[in-house]
Amino acid sequence: MDMTVIKGLQSEIYVPVTPKPVWTPVTKPLNEMVIALATAAGVHLKSDKRFNLAGDTSYRIIPGDVDSHDLMVSHGGYDNSDVNKDINCMFPIDRLRELAEEGFIKGIAPKHIGFMGGGGDVSAFREKTGPEIAKILKEEGVDGVVMTGG
Amino acid sequence: MIVQRAIEEAGIPTIIIAALPPVVRQNGSPRCTAPLVPMGANVGEPNNPEMQRNILRDTLIQLVEIDTPGKIVPLPYEYTAKI
Repeated sequence: MDMTVIKGLQSEIYVPVTPKPVWTPVTKPLNEMVIALATAAGVHLKSDKRFNLAGDTSYRIIPGDVDSHDLMVSHGGYDNSDVNKDINCMFPIDRLRELAEEGFIKGIAPKHIGFMGGGGDVSAFREKTGPEIAKILKEEGVDGVVMTGG
Repeated sequence: MIVQRAIEEAGIPTIIIAALPPVVRQNGSPRCTAPLVPMGANVGEPNNPEMQRNILRDTLIQLVEIDTPGKIVPLPYEYTAKI
């Protein structure tokens, strides 16, 4: 007996779809890896253009030798008070440098990335911003990326 | 997580330090660590270099250790923001 009364019936309740897995295996030990940071927390140089807090799909490049006091946050989606006290809360560049100095990792990348995540134009992030950021990191030849966000 | 997926798809292994692991799971992040922190202090308490260094070090270890896409590893560090 066929239990289906109407074929192809879908619920009118929207259910989230989790995207397919993506995976690049790690091939080196940590002490041979150059690491870059990429953050969705809206971090950028104080001298750089601020993000538009209402929605912004652009990104900023942060040099690896930056003084962390020259960095700031513009992001409309979370409480900035902790990160205003200490940028390392979301962009741990000083901590990454310390781990490189102690030899835990091989080194830190010449370029790191800040953008304003947490929503906005999702298709622009998927189709344009994301691939552009990936291209910069690929070109500088990093072995791994640590992100913050979510 | 969208940008993380783009970087991973370009051939670079990635890991995200997240305050909201359910959001990470939903968006298909390949690797994630989750310390007990509020949004905005994902790497730990402000001006607490030891906690931040430990969270970053443990995250780098998980970058190598995690062997299954989508795995989220809780980290044993706690910071509660005083709001």
